[in-house]
Amino acid sequence: MQRITAEGVADDRSGGSWKRFIKRHRDALLAAVILTPLIGFWLVVNGFPTMFGFVLGFFDWVGLTDRPSFAGLDNFIAFFQDPLYTGALWRSIWIGALVTVVTQAAGFGAALLMNMPLFGKGIYRTIWYIPAVTSTVATTQIFNLLLSPSNGIINNILISLGKEPIVWQYSVGWSIFWIVVYSVWKGVGAASLLWLAGLQSVDPTLYEAAEVDGAGRMARLRHVTIPGLKPIATFIFITSLVAAIQIYEQVLFITDGGPYSQTEVLVLRIYRDGFWDFNLGMAGASSLIMAILAMSITMIYYRWSSNSDRRTTIPIRGGGASRERK
Amino acid sequence: MSASESRSTRTRGGASRIVAHAVLLGFGAVLLYPLLFMILAGFFTREEFNRTVLSAFPIPDRPTLANYKSLVTGTVTAAVTKYMGNTILRTVYSTLFAVLTSFLAGFVFSRLKFKGRGALFLVLLATQTIPLTIAIIPTYLEFARFPWAGGNDIFVGGTGILNTWWVYLIGGPAMNIMGMFLVKQSLEKVPIELDEAAKMDGAGTLRLMFQILFPLQLPVVAYIAITTALGTWNDFITPFFYTSSDDLLTLPGAIARLSSISSGAGGTINYPLIITLGLGNTIPAVLIFFFFQRYIVQGLANSGVKG
Repeated sequence: MQRITAEGVADDRSGGSWKRFIKRHRDALLAAVILTPLIGFWLVVNGFPTMFGFVLGFFDWVGLTDRPSFAGLDNFIAFFQDPLYTGALWRSIWIGALVTVVTQAAGFGAALLMNMPLFGKGIYRTIWYIPAVTSTVATTQIFNLLLSPSNGIINNILISLGKEPIVWQYSVGWSIFWIVVYSVWKGVGAASLLWLAGLQSVDPTLYEAAEVDGAGRMARLRHVTIPGLKPIATFIFITSLVAAIQIYEQVLFITDGGPYSQTEVLVLRIYRDGFWDFNLGMAGASSLIMAILAMSITMIYYRWSSNSDRRTTIPIRGGGASRERK
Repeated sequence: MSASESRSTRTRGGASRIVAHAVLLGFGAVLLYPLLFMILAGFFTREEFNRTVLSAFPIPDRPTLANYKSLVTGTVTAAVTKYMGNTILRTVYSTLFAVLTSFLAGFVFSRLKFKGRGALFLVLLATQTIPLTIAIIPTYLEFARFPWAGGNDIFVGGTGILNTWWVYLIGGPAMNIMGMFLVKQSLEKVPIELDEAAKMDGAGTLRLMFQILFPLQLPVVAYIAITTALGTWNDFITPFFYTSSDDLLTLPGAIARLSSISSGAGGTINYPLIITLGLGNTIPAVLIFFFFQRYIVQGLANSGVKG
């Protein structure tokens, strides 16, 4: 893909060979100067620990003082034979999918409203986004106060209405319900902002054309907005699904995996293996499985979206700048 | 369009606007309820809070300002002002780091041509999908035990850079790959002719980057800055796992520690204090967001996320 510009040719004739080398490979050299420290730093802080964690998946290493011993695929076999792990994996997927669908549906509805010419739009956006900027540790404690079996706010209200209090923590269904409620509460503002950005990027002349053609509000939504949003919609759903299968903080702080590990998700299992049981081998194996799951979801998306519509996606071949240089 | 028609569309618009206001406000109030509860609970003393039968809007018999005062003076139980200072320092550092590195990397991938550019970019993007949570334990080991960090053996012993500011300097921020992606997408909308014109006028690469292209990227840069600032501001993982001394804790780290220590020891959680710390943590974040929220939408709309 080397392209010799008129300028470059002129320099080839005048400069010395070293100078010529720099001139010709100027872009690559500059890229190396900028990227080497950035990527090096990234490797030390993120890349290396992640790889190290994966490698540990092939070792038995229980306790932080012993030395690890090679275990081959034993950890992975154990993973798929133990319902503790397969159950957690499955819950990560379906709770993640549930959180994604509810959050994005609510976020989309809110974005449609926020996109109207309303007085105080900025205030609404802020109000809806506030849960996202609160500290997870503090707000999950509030949820625990709402749900406490002995002095919980919701139970106090139920009692004052003459109803039986509910011990939410004994019920798998209720526990998961509240985890989903918390996740939606925290995520809906960010989702609505993404949808809002998408709505604002739909070409306004299309709406005008539709209006001229006599399309009503619903017809415009169906024939202009939704087709215009298709690329960003897949992007939003995939990124939020990948994020949602990794939620664990709210599970840790609200149900702690209970009752009887029935609400435990895979990342919480990793956390427990790592910090409570010091079973670093299983933590590493689970990490690798989680990473493969997350990456395959993304890959399927890129594959699919680059077939159907390549505008939003990462330019896989070439790249935008070279297109513009032509 | 006749006058009567335009009037009818206007009134219909007015009615749907009222519905929109009602829905946004109604659900907004539900979303804000936990925060309102926190504000009310902050007026309780620990003793009164623990013996009160909590209602949806608890009002203390003898309200106290002690919790709120401790946010400013740091006098009550914890070195709150120190935590606040640490949180601010960390956030500023990580934000500057993220903005600078995202812009530099985005520039490289949108403006420079070199072999393997597309492949390298894809590899970097792919790493984005690996959950960072799974690196907590290996990062702990790396910080504590690797020779360069001061530990003496990979598998046994050493505390390395744990409990030092290095944890925040190198462990907090990393190259923001999402930011790099957004800058690249947004830079590609700037016509390459602008670069050529600037070069013709004798601008060097640095000048082109920081005086010509950077100002055009302000919406995306603002988006990266806000999301990084909010993320770092609320991050409890780094302080909670890699530090243990009061001198290094941030507000979220302190909240996590207070919740886990008191529940782990079987004691009752000091809810009013935790809640106040949570508020002290939330209010600056809300202000940051409120003043810059329009950049978030603009920044997203300007970059690759759009159709």
